[in-house]
Amino acid sequence: MISVKNLHKNFGKLEVLRGIDCHIKEKEVVVIIGPSGSGKSTFLRCLNKLEDINAGEIIIDGIPLNSETNVNAIRREVGMVFQRFNLFPHKTALQNITLAPEVVRKTSKAEAEKIAMELLKKVGLEDKAHEYPDRLSGGQQQRVAIARALAMRPKIMLFDEPTSALDPEMVGEVLGVMKDLAREGMTMVVVTHEMGFAREVGDRVIFMDEGKIMEEGTPEQLFNNPQNPRTQAFLSKVL
Amino acid sequence: MELRWGLMADSFGLLLKGAILTLELTAVAVAMGIVIGLFMSLMRLSNVKILRGIAIAYIDFFRGTPLLVQIYMVYFAIPQLLQFQTPNNYQFIAGILALGLNSGAYVAEIFRAGIQSIDRGQTEAARSLGMTQAQAMRHVILPQAVKRVIPPLGNEFIALLKDSSLVSIIALQDLMYTGKLIVSRTLQPFVIYFEVALFYLAMTLILSRLVNYSERRLGVSDKR
Repeated sequence: MISVKNLHKNFGKLEVLRGIDCHIKEKEVVVIIGPSGSGKSTFLRCLNKLEDINAGEIIIDGIPLNSETNVNAIRREVGMVFQRFNLFPHKTALQNITLAPEVVRKTSKAEAEKIAMELLKKVGLEDKAHEYPDRLSGGQQQRVAIARALAMRPKIMLFDEPTSALDPEMVGEVLGVMKDLAREGMTMVVVTHEMGFAREVGDRVIFMDEGKIMEEGTPEQLFNNPQNPRTQAFLSKVL
Repeated sequence: MELRWGLMADSFGLLLKGAILTLELTAVAVAMGIVIGLFMSLMRLSNVKILRGIAIAYIDFFRGTPLLVQIYMVYFAIPQLLQFQTPNNYQFIAGILALGLNSGAYVAEIFRAGIQSIDRGQTEAARSLGMTQAQAMRHVILPQAVKRVIPPLGNEFIALLKDSSLVSIIALQDLMYTGKLIVSRTLQPFVIYFEVALFYLAMTLILSRLVNYSERRLGVSDKR
């Protein structure tokens, strides 16, 4: 589904990603953990070309990520959820969800709204359809953002620290929606600090540090029996 | 010579006619400024080097030279350069053209600031949903930017209304020109120019109230 070979990324002179190789299968839930500045968010953003890459190759669903046309094709297939939600403040929850299907997929307004209402129901917010984002709590906003990404019927969902900007009591509701998605067989790549989520939902956990994949394995392997000293040091701090 | 305050009432009708022309001139120039400004700001922010260069040159030229010189250029210099016979109403055309071109440069910078003030995450969210750069600009960025540029845009229009008095120099019969005309006949500069000033003041006050009102109306969905 996703194939990454020898990916390099620099910000000026700073090397953020230093040769990433990674393959993600269909329906797999991959959780990326690691200290701040390890390049995990940058890696995720490279997967739908929100960041240009300096070297290497990314192939998503058989399409190499290079020219501008490919990028738009891939972005339609890959949903992204951001740390700071990035809902459109001038649109209601419903309009946030219907905008891209109407503009990009040319879905009719009625059809787009029908899909949007189903998705709002799925994330438990059908009664908030006509509220503007600033009337919603952080957890509600993030659930709308997930519904917005799902409205494009993506094959892959990328989550960039989706619960890091939330008050603690709202983390659960967002993780709940993500667990449902994983159970339904969505291919997911999740950057998070929620180790409980990684353990429970992840098929595979990747530990990144200094722009490289240091260690990867099943949650049991990585959390219970880490091999790399850096992984051990990191886990001893967060667990 | 004593002040003949009675002239204020006598010249009211003539000055009102001039004020209406001033308003017409400003309204058309404003519309032109918005269209030019929108395109110039988008070009200024474009990735295409030539477009960006043209926009920067345009903005620098019209903001960096006096409006009075620009009016003279359009009215006297352009007809000579292009060798055409100026039509009878060329004052009006030249006045609008000079004001509109000038305003376009200022409006471009206002739009640019407005567009750049929108959080990067908005573009990223739109792009991650598969929208092209143009679609993201049209459906996500510009609607938010428009709300933010209303106050500075309002100030620009008020400035333009006042600056439009400069077109009196090419004998366009706006409020200022009408005032000068009446003074030359009556030799009562204080009374007449005082009245002219009151006319401008009334117009700018009304305009600034309108701006405040539209700002409140558009702020409904964006209370932050």
